[in-house]
Amino acid sequence: MKKQKGMPDASKKAMAYSKFYGGKIGVVPKVPVHSLQDFSVWYTPGVGAVSMAIHADTSLSYDYTNRWNTIAVITDGTRVLGLGNIGPEASLPVMEGKALIYKFLGGVDAHALPLRVANTEQFIATVKALEPSLGGINLEDIESPKCFDILDRLRSEMHIPVWHDDQQGTAGVILAGLYNALKVTDRTLKGTRIVFFGAGAANIAAARLLMQAGCDPGDLIMLDSKGILHPEREDIDQLLLRNKWKYEIAIKTNAPRLKGGLENALRGADVLVAAAGQGPNLIKKKEVELMNKRAVTFLLANPVPEMWPTDAHAAGAEVVATGRSDFPNQVNNSLLFPAIFRGALDVRAKTITDKMVIAAATELAAFAENNLSAEHIIPNMDDWVVYARVASAVGMSAQKEGQARLRMTEKDLLRSAVERIEHSRKTMKVLVESGVISEPPK
Amino acid sequence: MEPTQIRAATKNDVDAIADLIARTKRLNSEFDPLFGVAQHAQDKAREYLLATLKKPGTILLVASKGMKVVGSIRAELREREFYEPHKVGHITDFYILPEFRRSALGKQVIEKMSGELRKMGAQMITCEVPTRNEIAVRFYEKNGFRPLLQTFAKLD
Repeated sequence: MKKQKGMPDASKKAMAYSKFYGGKIGVVPKVPVHSLQDFSVWYTPGVGAVSMAIHADTSLSYDYTNRWNTIAVITDGTRVLGLGNIGPEASLPVMEGKALIYKFLGGVDAHALPLRVANTEQFIATVKALEPSLGGINLEDIESPKCFDILDRLRSEMHIPVWHDDQQGTAGVILAGLYNALKVTDRTLKGTRIVFFGAGAANIAAARLLMQAGCDPGDLIMLDSKGILHPEREDIDQLLLRNKWKYEIAIKTNAPRLKGGLENALRGADVLVAAAGQGPNLIKKKEVELMNKRAVTFLLANPVPEMWPTDAHAAGAEVVATGRSDFPNQVNNSLLFPAIFRGALDVRAKTITDKMVIAAATELAAFAENNLSAEHIIPNMDDWVVYARVASAVGMSAQKEGQARLRMTEKDLLRSAVERIEHSRKTMKVLVESGVISEPPK
Repeated sequence: MEPTQIRAATKNDVDAIADLIARTKRLNSEFDPLFGVAQHAQDKAREYLLATLKKPGTILLVASKGMKVVGSIRAELREREFYEPHKVGHITDFYILPEFRRSALGKQVIEKMSGELRKMGAQMITCEVPTRNEIAVRFYEKNGFRPLLQTFAKLD
């Protein structure tokens, strides 16, 4: 335990509190139980009638059980936070934390469910087998490029929404931030040159989503550890075999056929989206200085961004966003995923399409529009109404896309999202105030 | 978009084709360590191509878009002393830049080359690729070729 001396405060607390509470998520009943007699209704013999009704029509599982509000947060523990392949047990605290955010911000019941699996096929088979119990799946912290294959396969083979937050969540928040950053700097998606520094799950997903959102693929430039991706790079055939998603980017993007490193990419670029690794010296001032006037830089590595925001501003960047809460413009997945599933679950969506993610990003951006500025392109997390608004946008989009099992008006969607999120927050308040959930030890 | 043209290679194309050949060799080395790429492979490819242009019974074609060479194919006529069919058109090197694939260009190039070889008397078309080069294996199988010869290797 000596090691703890040098730990940051949050880490020390996390260690102590995790032990004190024995984990962050438990199961709380939804129905009153006054005496053991009640179990003849909640359990046998009464429950048998409910089972037979569902047996006759399995879609009733959404009405008669908690399936409609239940997702699983699933990982194989191969790329947990910035910690690497630490295994399923070690990923459990992270997945519990995610489940807590889902409950508190989205009113979604999420199970933390790390898996021990030998390979991609086993992962896919296991997740598919869970379908009858769940309204949706949140994939988390799976290494790239395996995560692309898993998401694409599960999205096409399952009948409930499958979401990989490290791809779609990050891509969606980047898109939301970008919409407003472009507005602030008088640009449009068309004709804006966007450089992606880093070719991991987040940036590849963001590039894919931006193309869906109307970006001209030729205006996108992506760099990996070997430099700018282009169709004639020496290792292009190897990419086809090892990472076909990166290969697709290499083939489709970079119309000016730029080659080389970051300097060549940034010369004349409008936007930089960096998800490349711990800074603060991964990107140099002189490189950002090569960008066009009124440049936009997203520096997303946590905890240390690829370069400090002050340096980016000094190099001429007008809008700077990071992944951190202590700088302006935090690009944070937590703004999106609770709302995405709130909306998807409320209409019993079959999947979450790219258009639904774009609709969520658009709504998220619109929410920040009231006091839009270079320092405020993304809403803050503390205004919880944003989650209900984004959820209703997702629900509307699901219906337009033909992916909703329920039809709801925008008004009803908003109301139900507000109610469900409020219920979750109220439950927390009551549990804490009544002492059922005690305050942590000093 | 400029149309793609498949034509006989000239001396001017040699540098571009040498680059494509070097790419195939690098790709092969990815699949199998016994195809480690020799030093100066690209220079050697250039000499090999210049010799090809002069050698009777060999054909070198390029696929080009405007000024740009986007693919190349080399083949030679071979005779099989003990077997029928006797005269074989044998493809030795073939590569299309990735961004120009998926448009049936590869198939067109193979067909064009097969036609040329048949004109020179070839009764059968063969080609040679590393067993483990799954991209190439898949391509030829898709285009109606089947495995014919196995080369076994042992390193000691």
